[in-house]
Amino acid sequence: MGSYCEVQLYHESRIEARNVSRELIAEVDRLEKKYSRYQESSFLSAINKSAGSFSGISIDTETKSLFDHATACYKHSDGLFDITSGVLRKIWDFREARVPSQSEIDDCLENIGYDRLQWQDDRLLLPARMEIDFGGIVKEYAADAAARLGRKLGIKHGLVNLGGDFAIIGRQPNDQTWPVGIADPNSPQRMMAKIEILDGGLASSGDYERCFLHEGKRYSHLLNPRTGWPTEGLRAVSVAANLCTVAGSMATIAMLKPEIEGIAWLEESTLPYVYMDSNEQISGPALQEIETA
Amino acid sequence: MKRKPSRSLIALSTTALALPGISSADAPPTESTVSYKISNYKEDDLSREQVPFGELGRYDIDVHQFQYVSPLGRNFSLSVDANYENMSGASPWFSTANANGDPVINMSGASGIRDRRSEVSVGARYYMENGNFGGYVGYSEEDDYRSSYIGVSGEIGFNNDLTRFSYGFSHAADDIFPTDAEIFNRVRNEDKQSTSAVVGLSQVINQFSVFQVALSATEQSGFLTDPYKLQDSRPDNKTQLVLSNSYRHFFFFFNAALHADYRLYHDDFGITSHTADLAWYQNLGRDFQIVPNLRYYTQSAADFFTNIDDFTKPLTEFQSSDYRLSAFGAISGGIHFIADLGDWTATLTAERYIADDKYSGFDVTQPSPALVRFNRVSLGVDYSF
Amino acid sequence: MTSKRILLLVLCSGILMTGCTQVRPWERGYLARDEMLWDADALERQLNDHIFFSKEASSGGSSAAGGGCGCN
Repeated sequence: MGSYCEVQLYHESRIEARNVSRELIAEVDRLEKKYSRYQESSFLSAINKSAGSFSGISIDTETKSLFDHATACYKHSDGLFDITSGVLRKIWDFREARVPSQSEIDDCLENIGYDRLQWQDDRLLLPARMEIDFGGIVKEYAADAAARLGRKLGIKHGLVNLGGDFAIIGRQPNDQTWPVGIADPNSPQRMMAKIEILDGGLASSGDYERCFLHEGKRYSHLLNPRTGWPTEGLRAVSVAANLCTVAGSMATIAMLKPEIEGIAWLEESTLPYVYMDSNEQISGPALQEIETA
Repeated sequence: MKRKPSRSLIALSTTALALPGISSADAPPTESTVSYKISNYKEDDLSREQVPFGELGRYDIDVHQFQYVSPLGRNFSLSVDANYENMSGASPWFSTANANGDPVINMSGASGIRDRRSEVSVGARYYMENGNFGGYVGYSEEDDYRSSYIGVSGEIGFNNDLTRFSYGFSHAADDIFPTDAEIFNRVRNEDKQSTSAVVGLSQVINQFSVFQVALSATEQSGFLTDPYKLQDSRPDNKTQLVLSNSYRHFFFFFNAALHADYRLYHDDFGITSHTADLAWYQNLGRDFQIVPNLRYYTQSAADFFTNIDDFTKPLTEFQSSDYRLSAFGAISGGIHFIADLGDWTATLTAERYIADDKYSGFDVTQPSPALVRFNRVSLGVDYSF
Repeated sequence: MTSKRILLLVLCSGILMTGCTQVRPWERGYLARDEMLWDADALERQLNDHIFFSKEASSGGSSAAGGGCGCN
């Protein structure tokens, strides 16, 4: 998935643990092959190639479930979490640190809008020039799916980490919780916080690496699909939940919202969380838990 | 003290939990599976002591079973079953006393019986968030017997799906038209109806065990007599009640699962029975399984069972020397080898069954000399795609 | 006599069920394994039901019934 991934499993038999980890990696590979936006042969590429076709494309059960989850994210974020917003990346090149013109952005916004997708039973009619990107859902889902498979194959203690998205199987073998370090957006080698997880998932969202400074102003890589401009909210958010998928969606939405609303959104959720605000202040209930631990 | 989570969190958790890699909700099978199983069932020959004259050989049956199960869209599954049986042999015709007064058997026709049975059934099932519902229809045909049946069944989960309620209802209409009816003065054409209802409750006990209890009632009416027996007369109504219990336990240490089943049966022919079944599913590595099983069965005799036919009795008085209505016990055991070869699964089964009045848990006043012993071997393959 | 004792045992296990602990959805991995199904092998179950139906007086159980046969 183009980022650091690890699987830690505990089993009495080393051979068995290796066999299981192979299965988990195969499951993650399967999802990457299916939903990678970079692989020409992926099903996601097939969906995007179908844009503008009159007959649309038939969507399988698993992908349809991802769309269902994306629909819930879209609705509950008032349209901020939009899996059709990926086209904005074509005009916002974070490597070249270039700010596009407003007319470029306006042209691009015409190809965004989750509510413009049309469904005929299980066929998706993707309007011409629109694109789907399951970033922010599928990596988290892969972590959960791998953890669930691990449980199914008899693992009682384990951790799946897909580039900072964690899914946990039970406690550590010594009955300790899992300490997970949250990287600092300013220098990802440094830890800004530590969260202890019992079970379930942890996901983080932030302007790690991919933001840029232009004429003294910070441009986040998180883009608002309604304005086409980078968001000006929190710098980084980490959320723990029963599932990594849930944690990831909650964290991403918190990041997309204006700062105050983002904090309120996290607070209302009742989930443990940690965030860094625009003044680089770190806070959140999960953080306090660490200090007392 | 605990605050209520936001509506958004609940909504996002709901859709996330529905993702197939995560979901534990009911879902149709994700792949299509074709299964085929071939079996040979062979009953031991009777002895000269039991059968003074004629044929000693009993049934020898080859069974072919075919099943296709496939998902149909997002929420449905479809299944098609087809079975074919080819049988030959002989069965007890009537029972008399020998010089010592002990019962002996006279087997049906010297040439024996040849029959074929073909059965087809189709079913569909709908899977919803907290359960499933489905139905099936089927038809089976023999040279002298026809059965049409229909059924519905479903499951509903509640209490976080820790408890499941299941129910089923089925009806069968059978036609009986014995061969050589004119020669042997048998009935020409009779019919029989069976209606059955079942309710069950299963409960997750902990991470490793689950228990199920079910109660079923069956009402049969019509021609319940065996048309091939010389002297056989039974009531034309029968009510059966069954209480069944199943327990499954996964042993983490052994990497094995225990199946324990117990069934209590009672009907108004006067038969009560107990069935206990134990099976141990031992995983061997990731690809092999070995499953030994042991079964004990015992029943009491029907009120009108006799081990020596009384030909002086009028046919209006109930009587039968059918060994299946006698008091007896049966011990059977088998072993299954299962190999999981990617998309293919192969299963090899061998089973031995011995019925004997000595094994009976009930008092045996009239032992039947015709109790069966049989061997069964099966080879099955499944292919998923 | 034995039947009464067994029935009592069954009823007891029914009462025990109410004392179960909560098993969260992600702890049900073992219960979902194939070898933990009520019927691990559908064809085997059908064949066994058919044979025992033909050779013993009892039939029926936890699932809905199929058709009859003239098996002697």
